Amino acid sequence: MFYLSLFFQYASQYLKTRLTYRVDTILEILSDLLSQGVNLIFILIVFRHTAFLGGWNRDEIIFIYGFFLVPYAIFSSFFNIWDFNERYIVKGEMDRILTRPVHSLFQIILERIELESLFGAITGLVVMSYAMANLDLTFAWYDVLLFIVMVIGGTFIYAGIFISIATIGFWSDSRTDIMPMMYNISNYGRYPINIYNKVIQFVLTWILPFAFVGVYPASYFLNREEWYGYAFFTPVMGILFLGISIVLWNAGVKKYRGAGN
Amino acid sequence: MNVIEVKNLRKEFNSYTSRPGLAGAFRDLFTRNYKVHAAVDNISLTIKQGEMVGYIGENGAGKSTTIKMLTGILTPTSGSIIVNGMNPHKQREEFVRTIGVVFGQRSQLWWDIAVQESFRLLKKVYRVSDEDYNHHMGHVIETLDIGPLLDKPVRKLSLGQRMRCELAAALVHNPPLLFLDEPTIGLDVLVKLKIRKFLQEINEQYKTTILLTTHDLTDIEALCERVVLLDEGKIIYDGKLNQLQEHAVEGKQIEFEFLSEVPRSSLPRIENIQWEQKDATTWLGLINGDEQMISQLISDVVQRNPIKNVRINEVSTEEIVRKIYEEGMALT
Repeated sequence: MFYLSLFFQYASQYLKTRLTYRVDTILEILSDLLSQGVNLIFILIVFRHTAFLGGWNRDEIIFIYGFFLVPYAIFSSFFNIWDFNERYIVKGEMDRILTRPVHSLFQIILERIELESLFGAITGLVVMSYAMANLDLTFAWYDVLLFIVMVIGGTFIYAGIFISIATIGFWSDSRTDIMPMMYNISNYGRYPINIYNKVIQFVLTWILPFAFVGVYPASYFLNREEWYGYAFFTPVMGILFLGISIVLWNAGVKKYRGAGN
Repeated sequence: MNVIEVKNLRKEFNSYTSRPGLAGAFRDLFTRNYKVHAAVDNISLTIKQGEMVGYIGENGAGKSTTIKMLTGILTPTSGSIIVNGMNPHKQREEFVRTIGVVFGQRSQLWWDIAVQESFRLLKKVYRVSDEDYNHHMGHVIETLDIGPLLDKPVRKLSLGQRMRCELAAALVHNPPLLFLDEPTIGLDVLVKLKIRKFLQEINEQYKTTILLTTHDLTDIEALCERVVLLDEGKIIYDGKLNQLQEHAVEGKQIEFEFLSEVPRSSLPRIENIQWEQKDATTWLGLINGDEQMISQLISDVVQRNPIKNVRINEVSTEEIVRKIYEEGMALT
């Protein structure tokens, strides 16, 4: 309860700051839209050359992409920890975080929120409804609930993986390029898993389970019954990966060496 | 009541040295030369409620590392720490509500938002009630004279203005214990005086315990009765500031400025006094031992020679500390 009200306090403060930098905010939303548009165009171009990709047609792939945008938008709004090592460990900002009576990870999440990324979720919903109209999909009332559960699961998976990688900073203060690489890998989850070879399938399912952010949960809504088992496993994987990352984080904080003055 | 109780505290850092050359770099890939370095080496310390303690030492002596362990930021390698009756690292979130921290080189405030918005966020973070906040912070804001700054964003403040706001921010929850790490670094004299006066006030009014590290020893002279001197991770002195002065200074120095040039021969020959010529008309008399010699010496000199000025030089704390570090004097 305290954490929730703290969240609203920070969020309202964030909005206040953003409103003073209006041009910045609008540019950021526009550039997000642009990159989403480019991704969509890429899919359209691929399907000018082929009607199916691993047994999935154009509108199904577009639907998966639309679905993926929703957890990804939530992740980008609340878990901006890709520069954690630089910002908090090297510059020593972690010192300040640790002298305040709120869980350190939660404080960093609050400090780094970027609510404008949530617009990506709206884009995602629009893209999904376009694909659904083309595919004549129907939605039952409980699908709305399942959609929310799947989105939360996908967000947790993203958050878990990126938090776990950020914790490397506690043990090693050298700079790594894992973060940008991970952003690249995460894009693989937007495409049907069966188009990759077996090793990549395994990695995307169990080690860096980005498939659970895009293709697996989306296949439930596409009525692809052969993937249902994986689809319903999404929230489990989410809780598992986020849990692991929090354990790693708490262990890392004990190893924090601080930055010299 | 002891606010801080530290026993045999030790903090080690592993560092590795790299071998020279490319071949060395390849060897480093497989085996590294690890070196254990104790930044804080077996220190024990108790501080009572309401004390103002100066924690001094050269760069790298282990001051910041100690403060970071006392505030729960770093985990000690060994030894025990009890601060405000809690283990800072184990009970971090509960513990930090009872302390205030100011790092002079690091801001606690949010860069882009107005000072009072920062205060309001901190009020929320520390769960301070409106009533307590208004009562306590009203006083703090008035004493630090930051009322006119409250609606400005932090990035538009001068260093002196920002430091006063930082101090206020550390006191939002009225903590009984305050850690100040270089709070006056880079500030002008007026701001320093204001901050010192304020610290004295809260110390008197709320019995706030204050642990202060600084490079500016005039801060310590103005505020702290007790100093703890640190060198290479060890405490080399812990006690009253004036005792440190008495201990460290061998004798006093009297500076005579004469109206005309005075040869050595016309100065009195007294045992235990050494003369040193500063310039043509000025001599320094160094008295070793008995302080009663001072008046005798002055009267002897003044009777024989016409004098322009006489000054008894007291050695500043800064000089004492410099001497201690240069000569490696142990004062325990």
